[in-house]
Amino acid sequence: MTTLDQKPASSEGRKDPWSQMLQKVGKSQDREAYHALFEHFGPQIKYYAMANGLASHAEELVQEVFVSIWRRSCLYDWRKAAASTWIFTIARNQRIDMLRKMQRTSAEMPVETEDLWQIPGENENEPVTSLHRLMSERRIRESLSHLPEEQTTVIAKVYMENKSHQMVADELNIPLGTVKSRVRLALNKLKVILQDQNV
Amino acid sequence: MTRHHPDSLSLMEYSAGNLSEPHALCIRLHLDKCSHCRSRVDTLDSLGAVMMEQQPKVTVSESMFDSILAQIDSTPVDEPAMPPAPRISVLQKLLGEDLNSLPWKRQLGDVSVLDITDRFPGQKEQVVLQKLAAGGKAPAHTHRGEETTIVLQGAFADQKGVFNQWDFVVLTDQDEHKPVAVGCEDCITLSVLSAPVKLTGTFTRMLNPFIR
Repeated sequence: MTTLDQKPASSEGRKDPWSQMLQKVGKSQDREAYHALFEHFGPQIKYYAMANGLASHAEELVQEVFVSIWRRSCLYDWRKAAASTWIFTIARNQRIDMLRKMQRTSAEMPVETEDLWQIPGENENEPVTSLHRLMSERRIRESLSHLPEEQTTVIAKVYMENKSHQMVADELNIPLGTVKSRVRLALNKLKVILQDQNV
Repeated sequence: MTRHHPDSLSLMEYSAGNLSEPHALCIRLHLDKCSHCRSRVDTLDSLGAVMMEQQPKVTVSESMFDSILAQIDSTPVDEPAMPPAPRISVLQKLLGEDLNSLPWKRQLGDVSVLDITDRFPGQKEQVVLQKLAAGGKAPAHTHRGEETTIVLQGAFADQKGVFNQWDFVVLTDQDEHKPVAVGCEDCITLSVLSAPVKLTGTFTRMLNPFIR
């Protein structure tokens, strides 16, 4: 356990400046680090909002996400997720929450957004998994550039435009099976599909 | 021990935040108990982060940062950042403490149901709980659309195998099955149905979702 705790510090973890900055925000409310995170991730989140139909609320989403980042940064653990992954999940959850609140006139929402999309096990100590998480983000970034464009296009539509596989098929005018096989090929190459499916 | 997992494509739709609320609930309930799939979703979330990073750059006004700081500073410092209160599970929130004491409607023989679609306002899918009495059988049926099921209690078996607590299974119109509750507990499942089920046996008037 202890060796695993220390290893990534010298190899993986320290290489990611954003994770270091997020940690500073969490530990000492460092506003300079927070501003650097804003300059890097703010535009990404704004584009994310614009790409999936929240154009007129894009800056509002950026603001909400950054307030959440500030408030939750004390819970951030760089060994469990890279800052970019951690921030992506906050942006995703806030987007879903914003859309839900816009669509519901009544306050009748027995199930909260966090109940459905907050990944459980946040407080667990899973050093092996966390190492795997850090590795996987670096590997994904590296291997994404080698994917054929038709595969990255489909993935981008799913993640950025929040289109279901069926909607992507309709838009590109290709069969649903083709969309699914492109995604599978991509996930295979990105090693997202793990070998031990029958665990 | 969980053995039937969601496929990578469903987990990807979950990670991207594209699933309907009832479908997301099924995945979320599985993730609660399956570290294997949690790890797969973590990886997919990283894929989402990398996709977000690789999109065209847009500008964000610097004044926005000031209003973010203003919002942060207006929050009382003594307010806890995150409520440390123990989380009530989403299942308890939806269904209360005891699944067995819900107002089940006995449909036929061994099968009882409870439609909880109204807990998901604005969603297109039908959401039903189904209970198959210990040792009981449901009549053979196929599904006209797609049925996503997660086992909440007990276990059932069909031609494809045994499905234990927190196992995840998707059935389509290709699948005819005849589930049997195994073990000494009633088997309770939560199913999300995109279209009604079609009967294949001699039963024609059944209205319960095991056979709908």
